[in-house]
Amino acid sequence: MSLHPRAIMMLVTPAVLIGLWWLYTVAFAIPPYLLPPPQAVATELWRLFAGGSIWPHLGHTLGIIAAGFVLGSAGGLALGFVLAKLPAVERLVAPYLLFLQTAPKIALAPLFILWFGLGLTSKIVLTVSLVFFPVMVGTILGLRSLPPMMSELCSILRLTPAQRFFRVELPSAVPEIFSGLKVGAVQATIGAILSEWLSGGTGLGYLMVFAGTTYKAPLLFAMVVVTALLGIAVYQVLVLSEKWLLSWR
Amino acid sequence: MLIEVQGVTKTFVSRGGEQVVALAETTLDVQQGEFLTLIGPSGCGKSTLLRMLAGLVEPTSGRIVWQGTAPARGSEVGFVFQEPVLLPWLSVLDNVRFPLDTFGVDRRAGDEAARQTLELVGLKDFARALPKELSGGMKQRAAIARALVYKPRLVLMDEPFSALDLLTRDRMNDELLAIRAEVGATIVFVTHSVEEAAYLSDRVAVMSARPGQIRTIHTIDLPAPRGEAVKDLPAFHAWLSQLRRDLR
Repeated sequence: MSLHPRAIMMLVTPAVLIGLWWLYTVAFAIPPYLLPPPQAVATELWRLFAGGSIWPHLGHTLGIIAAGFVLGSAGGLALGFVLAKLPAVERLVAPYLLFLQTAPKIALAPLFILWFGLGLTSKIVLTVSLVFFPVMVGTILGLRSLPPMMSELCSILRLTPAQRFFRVELPSAVPEIFSGLKVGAVQATIGAILSEWLSGGTGLGYLMVFAGTTYKAPLLFAMVVVTALLGIAVYQVLVLSEKWLLSWR
Repeated sequence: MLIEVQGVTKTFVSRGGEQVVALAETTLDVQQGEFLTLIGPSGCGKSTLLRMLAGLVEPTSGRIVWQGTAPARGSEVGFVFQEPVLLPWLSVLDNVRFPLDTFGVDRRAGDEAARQTLELVGLKDFARALPKELSGGMKQRAAIARALVYKPRLVLMDEPFSALDLLTRDRMNDELLAIRAEVGATIVFVTHSVEEAAYLSDRVAVMSARPGQIRTIHTIDLPAPRGEAVKDLPAFHAWLSQLRRDLR
């Protein structure tokens, strides 16, 4: 069996990088609390997954991502629809939305904790605030990008408003909506982990803070690997559903 | 007679609040079963007039009177745009059946009508293809099929072949004549091309700009059925010169 050159590169590149990392820690005798060698991180990962101690944390983070993503997307789609359909309303609220959109959500995080407590609610609210805007912007763009002739076709055929929306406008907007959803999904992952940094005793974010403050460098590195893989996985789920929904492109 | 355009005008208000006359007072009859072409430079209001016939644009003054009942449903008017405007997520068959679906025609009858119309435009073998898999000429044929599938009383075409290369355009002109002979539709056609106008039309309305108006209407007395041989006739070339003179 011959391997595809790209597949070989995908195996060789990380192997080389890990090799260099290992060589560096050995050759310069780097103390493990600064940069643990790869095998220490691998052992830690094995302990986390085989020992099962990571599952509650992973579940907690995934739960916040899912809740924040679903609620934030639903809100973004709904408001995006209203603003795309009612330009008068958009002109009225656009300046405030721009202010909220550009305000760094990390700065709002303590406020959310103040308002919604240290529990799950404030974590989900922070995640929702990060998912909401990209989805809203994508929805507005998508619904507005209908070619004028397409809109004339709907008038010629005398489509009802519902037919126009569900048969023409919404399907045409799907590509732009998906761009928003993809950004939103990545933001949801960041938001969930960030919210766990700030409060609580569960979640991947909490584990990172715990590892950092107790000088457990192998655990910290393992968590970096896990969160990076989680981000990629969440993004890929959206890319796959996009491919499936937009197979006509 | 199918439609009487009675002293219709259209004035748009520009952003600066200025009034722009897109179409000065225009009177025109569209005869049942004829091929009527509107030709003229940009800004002569030919597209505006076509959109008024479609009911897309309301006249500022004047009336458009249909013989019998005015079109109640979209099914009375077919429109072919400059671009195909196909729904890219639907197959060619689904695109052609789309108007019938929205009118509430049942699926089986819709499929049957769509297949017949696809056969008429020579796309029978591409029913399952997606629009992106078709060439420009084939896409426009699918768009024509979509405009014909519900047997409208009037078919409006807004420079439908202007985006195609010359060879494809010539072939599409011949096919349009064949399709028309088969279905006997009344067609109002907008073009920039004097060749297209003379070759296809029973009558040509020559329009001029600023303000947009009909300058003269010619009855093209070339023999029917039209075909390549017509293009060699001295009379055809006389019409081309005549139309060019009118447009100057």
